[in-house]
Amino acid sequence: MQDTTRSAGATRWLKIILIGRRPKATFWRILALISVTVVTFKFALLPIRVDGISMEPTYHNRQVNCVNRLAYLRCEPQRGDVVAIRFARPERFSAPSQMLMKRIIGLPGERVGFHAGHVYINGELLVEPYLKYSCDWEHEPIQCGPDQYYVVGDNRSMPFEYHMQGRAGRDHIIGKVLL
Amino acid sequence: MKIILRLAGVAVAGGLAFWLWTVWFPSPEKQVLRQVARLAATANFSPGDGNLTRAGKAGNLVSEFANEAEIVYEIPGVGGRTLDGRDEIREAALGAFASLSALKVEFTDATARIGPDQQSGEVTCTARVSTGDSKDFGIQELRFQLKKSGGDWLITRAETVKTLQ
Repeated sequence: MQDTTRSAGATRWLKIILIGRRPKATFWRILALISVTVVTFKFALLPIRVDGISMEPTYHNRQVNCVNRLAYLRCEPQRGDVVAIRFARPERFSAPSQMLMKRIIGLPGERVGFHAGHVYINGELLVEPYLKYSCDWEHEPIQCGPDQYYVVGDNRSMPFEYHMQGRAGRDHIIGKVLL
Repeated sequence: MKIILRLAGVAVAGGLAFWLWTVWFPSPEKQVLRQVARLAATANFSPGDGNLTRAGKAGNLVSEFANEAEIVYEIPGVGGRTLDGRDEIREAALGAFASLSALKVEFTDATARIGPDQQSGEVTCTARVSTGDSKDFGIQELRFQLKKSGGDWLITRAETVKTLQ
């Protein structure tokens, strides 16, 4: 008799731990939590995993991060921002599964060139404290269009032609890398 | 309660019927997306695949293209090239299948658009390609143009798209 009572008590506690004292409230809480999580991580903060070394040493290979898709709703991307850039446009309401992670160095209308590994914006040297590896890139200045941003990775130790960099349209910029 | 259950049953049956309809009679968009996905699946091969399998795969790959198909591609640091017609595509495919130890191709974020004549379509996607046992990979935006020929969709043009200009 005592065993049966003990067993019933344990079951009751297990039920309380799993679904709470008020199952209906627990259900609505779980539903709200799932909704908030889905909306947040699909439309506001996009979870990403860095794949590659083009942003070393700022971001390492296999590092986990988030892209803030709402960062540029009220303001435009700024020089120095690390942004996520999409390739093909995915279906409506879905986030792209592959993105480029690059730093903005040139703004719309500016001329961006490389000389002796340094960046020159409209002929003036750009100070880049985030660069740790030296490079010897040489490239004639390129004019950014009215809706284009010049983006490049922080790891410029590889030859210029093997590093994916260039002008990205504003509509290709998905958001700002959060951390 | 009975009415609600009946309504729910009708909704479920309706949903199932709609799903079956889309499976049996896919929209042209789905058909062209499947065609491009099939191309990616055909292009994959592993180190364990023998020469005969590889040659077969190269043949299957070519059959996804129209006779007058054109492939225009540009590889960073290497340059651009154009392949005209099935013969050139077959030659290039056989060369790649023979020289690489393995190839893994994935097409993601694919979207399709069908022309007003319902006989032509365009697919854009992002390709992730890795070769051999290397963990390195290449990512490239691609655009395919397709046309309907005898009930099947065939690729008439494939080209790489420069995401960063």
